[in-house]
Amino acid sequence: MALDPAQPTSVAGFRQRPDAVESSGVPAGPPILEVAALGVTFGGVRPVVDVSFSVKRAAITGLIGPNGAGKSTLLNVIAGAVRPSAGSVAFEGKRITRPSAHAVARLGITRTFQLSGEFGGLTVLENMLMGARAQRGESVIGALLGRRYWGAQERALITRAKELLEECGLVSKLDDYARDLSGGQRRIVEILRATMADPKLLLLDEPFAGINKSTARGIETYLATLRARGMTMIMVEHELASVDRMCEDVLVMARGSVIGRGTMRDLRGSRDIRQAYLAG
Amino acid sequence: MSLVIEAAGFGVVTAGVVALAAVGFTLQFAITNIFNVAVGSQLTLAAFIAYALNRTGVSIWYAMIAAGLFTGVTSVLLNRMIFQPFLRRGTSFFGLVVVGIALLLIIQFSSQAIWGASFVSYQFNAGGVFKWGPLLLNRTSLILLGIAAGTMVAVHLLLTYTRFGKSMRATAADPELASSCGIRIQLVTDATWFLAGMLSGLGGVAFGMTLGAFSVSMGSTFLVIIVAAAILGGVGQAYGAMLGALVVGIATEETSLLVSSAYSQVAAFIILILVLVVRPEGILPGVARYRGIAT
Amino acid sequence: MNWGFFATTVIIYVVTSLIAAWGLDLQFGSTGVLNFSFIIFVAAGAYTAAILTLGSPSGPGNVAQQQYFAGATLPFPLPWIGAMVVGGILGLLVGLVALKRLRGDYEAIVMLVVSLMALYIVLSDVGFLNGASGLALIPSPLQSGGNLTGGTGYGWFYSGLTVVVGVIVGFVMHRLMESPLGRALRAVRENERAAEAMGRNTAALRLLVFALGGSLGALSGAILVGFINAWSPGAWGFAETFLLFAAVIVGGQGNLVGVAVGAFIIFGLIIQGVLFLPQIGGDSALTECLQWITAGLLILLSMWLRPQGIIPERRRRLSRWIAPARRKRNGSGLLRWR
Repeated sequence: MALDPAQPTSVAGFRQRPDAVESSGVPAGPPILEVAALGVTFGGVRPVVDVSFSVKRAAITGLIGPNGAGKSTLLNVIAGAVRPSAGSVAFEGKRITRPSAHAVARLGITRTFQLSGEFGGLTVLENMLMGARAQRGESVIGALLGRRYWGAQERALITRAKELLEECGLVSKLDDYARDLSGGQRRIVEILRATMADPKLLLLDEPFAGINKSTARGIETYLATLRARGMTMIMVEHELASVDRMCEDVLVMARGSVIGRGTMRDLRGSRDIRQAYLAG
Repeated sequence: MSLVIEAAGFGVVTAGVVALAAVGFTLQFAITNIFNVAVGSQLTLAAFIAYALNRTGVSIWYAMIAAGLFTGVTSVLLNRMIFQPFLRRGTSFFGLVVVGIALLLIIQFSSQAIWGASFVSYQFNAGGVFKWGPLLLNRTSLILLGIAAGTMVAVHLLLTYTRFGKSMRATAADPELASSCGIRIQLVTDATWFLAGMLSGLGGVAFGMTLGAFSVSMGSTFLVIIVAAAILGGVGQAYGAMLGALVVGIATEETSLLVSSAYSQVAAFIILILVLVVRPEGILPGVARYRGIAT
Repeated sequence: MNWGFFATTVIIYVVTSLIAAWGLDLQFGSTGVLNFSFIIFVAAGAYTAAILTLGSPSGPGNVAQQQYFAGATLPFPLPWIGAMVVGGILGLLVGLVALKRLRGDYEAIVMLVVSLMALYIVLSDVGFLNGASGLALIPSPLQSGGNLTGGTGYGWFYSGLTVVVGVIVGFVMHRLMESPLGRALRAVRENERAAEAMGRNTAALRLLVFALGGSLGALSGAILVGFINAWSPGAWGFAETFLLFAAVIVGGQGNLVGVAVGAFIIFGLIIQGVLFLPQIGGDSALTECLQWITAGLLILLSMWLRPQGIIPERRRRLSRWIAPARRKRNGSGLLRWR
C-alpha cells in the first residue's frame, strides 16, 4: 500500500488531508523518488520493514520518528550507502540497480551527514569545491595537463562557492580549515557544499542536531530558498518545530515501518501516532 | 601420517611458546589500546640477557625468570616514559605504531651493538626424549610446554577470579567507567605492561631455546608470528591469542614438514592475509569491532 | 677520500630515496596511513630492472650462474619502464588489501607484516630471485656505448641522469598534488564517507594512488640497482622501510619540499654523513648500529617536538585564484555571526 500524497489515506483511524499544496509556481510533477516495498536486514536486525512511498518535487518531505525507527537507515539506502535486502528505489522513474554512495551521488542525489560530514583538514573553500562534480582536473591526465587545462573551470567554481558563502555570511572563513569552524558553521558549509553539486534531490540527515536557535533559523531560511528554487529535499529530523515549519508533508516511522503521513498538525492530532512515537 | 602427528606435536610446543608472547601482546592491546610493536625487540633483548646470564653459569631456567622480570620492569618504564606521554599529547594510534617502530629499532640495534649479529645458543641440558605414540618430544620441550600451559592457566585465573583481574577487564572494556568506579587506572596499566612484558620476556627465552641458535634478528621473525596469532585469534582476546598461537604453531610445523622448512614462516603470512581478507576481526570475538579497528 | 665518488653516491642515494619517499607520501596523502610495506615496491623495481638487464638465467649474461626465474636483455630505458609497470601492479595488489577499512594502527601493522613476509618468500625460494645472495654483476645502463667506460665519469653521468629523473618526478608530483585530483585525495583521507557522498569513487582513487606510488618506488629501486649493480634482501629489510617513512615524518608529509628536506636529512646526513665519523673502536658494524639508533632517536624526537614535520602540509589558499571582490561582511547574508 503506497502512501501517495495525492490521495487521502487512513492509517489506524487517522485521516490525512488531501494534499493540494504547490510551492511558488513549480508544478507538482511525477514523483522524483519512489520507494517500493523496501526492506533492510542485517545480522538478525530489521531496521527497515516494507516501506513504500513517493516523494513530491520541489518540496521538503520530513521523515520523523523515535530513535531506532529506521529513519537514518532508510536515508542511507536512498543515498546508496546501504544495500536493501528487499524492494527497490526508483529515481526519476528509473530503478537504482547497483547502489553505491558515489554512483547514487552522480545520479543527482546528494546528502549531508548527522555528524562530521565536513572535510576537517581542508579549507572551507576546498570543502565547497569538493561539492562540485565532474571536475576536469580530477582525472590523472587532466591533473598532469596542469592549471592551463583546469584553471578556468576552477576559477568559475571558486566564484560560485564564494557567492554561496556570501549569502550565508561565511565568506570571511574561506581559507580557514573546516575543523576550525563552530559546529553550526560547519553544518552550513556542508549544506552549501551539497548545493554546489546542483542536486536534484537533497537528503538532509538531522541538519538541526546540536545547532543553536539563531543558526537554525538561518538554515531554515536557506532551505526554504532552495525549495523556492525548485529543489526537492528529504529531511530526517527530531526538531519537530523545524519540521513543522519546513515540511508540508511528513512521514512518520516507527520500528522500521511508516506508520503515518501528513502535515505535522494532522500527525500531532492522531493519538495512535503520538503513542507510537512515545512507545518507540 | 605419523610424521604429520609428530609435526603437530612440535606444533603444539611452538604454539605454547608463541602463545606466551601472543597473549601478552593481545592483553596489552586489550587494556591499553596500544599495539606495542617494540615487543619484537624486547623479546630479543630478553633472549640475550638470558644468554649473558647463562654464559656466566646461571641455569637457563633462572635466567629465563630473570629475563622475564627484566622485560616486565622495562615495559612499565617504556610505557610511563614514552607511550603515555605521547598519548597525552594526542598522538594518534597510528602515530604510536611509528613510536613503537622507532623503539624497536633503538632496542634491536642496541642489542646488536652489544652482542653482535652472529648466532648464539644457550647452554642447557635438553634432557631425554620421550616417545608417546607418534609424538616425539624432548624434556626441554615438555618443560617449556608446561611453563606455557601453566602461565596460560595463571593468566586465566588472574583475569577471571581475582579482583585485580576483574579490574583489568573492566579497564579494557571502558576505561572512563572503570575510573569512575574507583579502579586505579594507572596501577592497572602498569600491571598490564608488567605482565605483558614478562610474558614477552619468557617467550623470548623460550623461542631461543626452541630455535637452538638465534641472533638479534629473531625479533622481527617472531613479531610476525605473534601478530599473526593475536590477530587470527581475535585481537584483544587472550583466549583468542592462545587459539591463534595453536593454529599458527601447528600450521608452521606442518608446512615445514609437508612443503619445506624454508616456507614455514610463509604459512603464518598466508594465514594472516586470509584472516584479514575474510574476517579481519579474527576467530573469537575480540575488541576489534567495537574499537572501530575493522569494519 | 674520493670526493667525486662520495658526492655521486650521496646524490644518487638522496634522489632515489626522495623519489621513493614521494611515492610513499602520495599513498599516505590519500589514506592517512604510511604504507609500511612500501619497501617491497622498491625491491620489486630493483629486481625487475636487474633481471631485465641480466638476461635469461640460462643465457650468456648470467656469468655468475645466479638463479632466478626469468630474464631478458633489454636496452635502457626498458628495464626501468618494466620496473615501473611491475611496481604499479604490485601497488594495485597491496592497495586491494588496504581497501579494507581497518583502523590506522591495525592497517600499519598489517602492512609491516606484508613487507616482512615478502622478505621471507624471497629468502626461502632460492630459484625465484637467488635467495639471500641476491643478484649481482648487474650491468649499468648505457655503459657499453659512448665514452662512458665506468669510473668517476660514469658516476657523474649517472648522478645527472638521476637528478633529471628526480626533477621530472617532482614536476609530475607537483602537478598531481596541486590539482583538483590532489584535493580529492586529501578529501578521501579526511572523510572517506563524505567523499563518496560527493560522487567520488574512493576505492578507485585509492587503487590509483597505490599503483602510482608503487611505480615510483619501483623506479627508485631500478635507478639504485643501476648504480650499485647488485641487489639482495639485505638492502630491503624492515629497517630500510623505516628510513623512508622517517624521511616523510621528519620532513613533513603532504609536502613535496618537506619530504625532500626529510630525505636529505635521513639519507644524506645520517646514512652517508656517518662515513665521516672515525670508526668507533675500529668496528664498522658498531657504526652501522649507531646509524640506526640515531635514526630511531631522530624519529622519536621529531614525533615529539614537531609531529607535523619540519615543513608541514600547506594550507591551500584557493581564494587567491580569483580577483578579490569587495568582501561583504554580514551584508545580505541569511545568517549573522557574532
